Amino acid sequence: MATITKRSFLKTSLCAGIGAGVGMYWGAANAQKAASLTMTSWGSPAEIAAFNAQIERYKARNPNVAIKLEVVPSGQYYQQLDTRFAGKQAPDIFRAQYQRIGRYGQSGAAIDLSQYLDAGFGQDFLPSVWRASTIKGKPHALPHHTDTFALFYNAEIFEACGIEAPKSLDKSWTWQEFIGAAKLAKEKAGLNYAFAMNWQNSNAYRWLMYLYQHGGQLLDNELKGPQINTKEAAETVAWTQSWFKDGLVPPNTSLKSSEPVQNLFATGKIAMLLHGDWQIPFIQEQARFKWGVTYLPRDVAMAADLGGNALAVSRDSKSPDVAADFVKFMVAEEAMREFVTKAQFLPVRKSLKEKGLVYDIRNEEMKVFLEQSATVPEHLVSTIVLPTWDRFNAKLADELELAFTSGQSPTATVANIEKHVRSTLLV
Amino acid sequence: MAAVMAIAENLRGPAVGRPSAADARRYWLQAKRSQLTPYLFIAPNMALFSVFVFFPLLYAFYISLREWSLIDTPRYIGLENYARLASDTLFWQSLSNTAVYSIATVPMSLAIGLVLALALNRDLYGRTILRSVFFLPVVISNVATAVIAAWLFNDNYGVINALLQQVGIGPVAWLSSPRWALFSLVVTSLWVRIGFCMVVYLAALQSISPTYYDAAQMDGASRWQQFRFVTWPLLRPATFLLLILGVIHSFQVFDLIYVMTGGGPGFSTTMIVQYIYQAAFVGSEMGYASAMGMVLFVMILIFTLLQWRVNRRVEDVA
Repeated sequence: MATITKRSFLKTSLCAGIGAGVGMYWGAANAQKAASLTMTSWGSPAEIAAFNAQIERYKARNPNVAIKLEVVPSGQYYQQLDTRFAGKQAPDIFRAQYQRIGRYGQSGAAIDLSQYLDAGFGQDFLPSVWRASTIKGKPHALPHHTDTFALFYNAEIFEACGIEAPKSLDKSWTWQEFIGAAKLAKEKAGLNYAFAMNWQNSNAYRWLMYLYQHGGQLLDNELKGPQINTKEAAETVAWTQSWFKDGLVPPNTSLKSSEPVQNLFATGKIAMLLHGDWQIPFIQEQARFKWGVTYLPRDVAMAADLGGNALAVSRDSKSPDVAADFVKFMVAEEAMREFVTKAQFLPVRKSLKEKGLVYDIRNEEMKVFLEQSATVPEHLVSTIVLPTWDRFNAKLADELELAFTSGQSPTATVANIEKHVRSTLLV
Repeated sequence: MAAVMAIAENLRGPAVGRPSAADARRYWLQAKRSQLTPYLFIAPNMALFSVFVFFPLLYAFYISLREWSLIDTPRYIGLENYARLASDTLFWQSLSNTAVYSIATVPMSLAIGLVLALALNRDLYGRTILRSVFFLPVVISNVATAVIAAWLFNDNYGVINALLQQVGIGPVAWLSSPRWALFSLVVTSLWVRIGFCMVVYLAALQSISPTYYDAAQMDGASRWQQFRFVTWPLLRPATFLLLILGVIHSFQVFDLIYVMTGGGPGFSTTMIVQYIYQAAFVGSEMGYASAMGMVLFVMILIFTLLQWRVNRRVEDVA
């Protein structure tokens, strides 16, 4: 055991004193002016816990700043946010999907953050999400994380039915192989339905990944005109429609349904689930069977969905500089690493992707999502971040719902979607 | 005679000259005060009505002439939103769905409510408990009722399908088939509404004087004749009230549908208020949604006025 001498004690005390002084200095230099901020978000318990942990860290560094996190159910989130904007009482900071940033930025509801950012601030962010957060070159939100889809499967059912899940991206199932596995699982495991897809709650845009997998796209390459009324698009509608017609998915999992599809998987009612990485904590907690994650099916191309959210500062904020500082803190490398590893999301900083991450749970499954995220088509990203996307998304949901539940033909569906593209998206 | 004179004098009041200016002002103030008193009593109600109904109504009309997505500045577009309604097939479909829903729920809820009221108006063992059981859905939040109903009717793990499967039927796609979704909604609405109808009818039945029935019995009227010629005519005001409230309620139905079907599958259960909500908060078209709201307001107003006139005419004839 080392003996503490008077000299070593004095030396240690001196160092500690200098260290504390430096710490206090930097703390004081970094500390923000007094402000009381509100931030609004939806989220799973893991996300909310991760947000609160970051807020506490920021408050420890900036004791003058109070931040209150207001959690709103995802189904009512945007309605409540818009209503607060209409009443000029929007929160200082709000979370929004990349597809919504264009609308909030263009209307001025999300302020231009350029004045609070150093030159080259966006260089470390993935180009797709940085572009999604900027309007005419001005950042109106800062990318916080991304997420994507993959295929959750019940490993016990797969084993019993002799189904082997693809082990690498290049060996991912074709559409035919995926449907073959679904039919086999349904038949051999005696299930009422084989799988379900999460596109409820205004998430119709997720259907587009199948369109891109089949070689189609919604808009032309210049994003100036519709390109949906094509054979590829009609076939994609027909393929997804066949899931319902052939009884492979529960009929109450169409776009207007409020059925939480993750419950169906976690309770063993279905063998596969097309869902995002953020569902891992829920399934880990609820599923009483062995499960895994494999890659999305593909057709002529691989394609995944761009998910994820950015953080924006509202025009109603009384302290936009402090709010912007907090948002910068949230998207800094360290905070982002902590958030994504705790809440099971994918990072949007190149540096974090290069360094690699270790997730709190199911690290191997998260690697599948990370690999899959590389297949998000650039054109898809450019399409869904148009400022008018929000309004069009509702029309897309209506048309797909009619095809899946009310027998609207694929050709009529794509023709109707084309009309909505002209009247709603490209205006 | 002296006494009579004294009384007459008292009645005439004390002999006074011309009232002074102060007296006149006092009388004027008293008269004004007594005129103002009723207004003071209704003031809280009028204030709330103005803040939550009248001004929003005016504002809705103002917005209906504009294009507004809630987060931008409203832009005046004249009657464009109203013109668009004429060619919007979904608007007409949602109106038609609402009419079908009203026809399916209003007469049925009145009829079942009346039968229950007649049954529970008698000396029946456990009638207090039964009245509470039937009335319970009225006091429970509609959202909670809808969540319970959505679980009961759930295609995959609902109690109804589980019971049906025990006897070899189903599973039935109660909420995801266009054929069954409206039916499930109507059943849930009846569950909610019949308790209210029952209570109103019970109150009306208990206000009928037993002497009418005594007289009818003395005249040899059968039970059916007593109901047909005594009870039913005397229940007319209650029936009229329930009819009006029922139709207004069914035209404004939203929470049950929002929770149970979201207006789907397709548009098979999209009612007018659901469609307004979708336009406002999903499509971010607040101006168009307000225009539809104004049309709905006018429709309910016309219906109420018509009913009111018809009822008055019937009462006059009676």
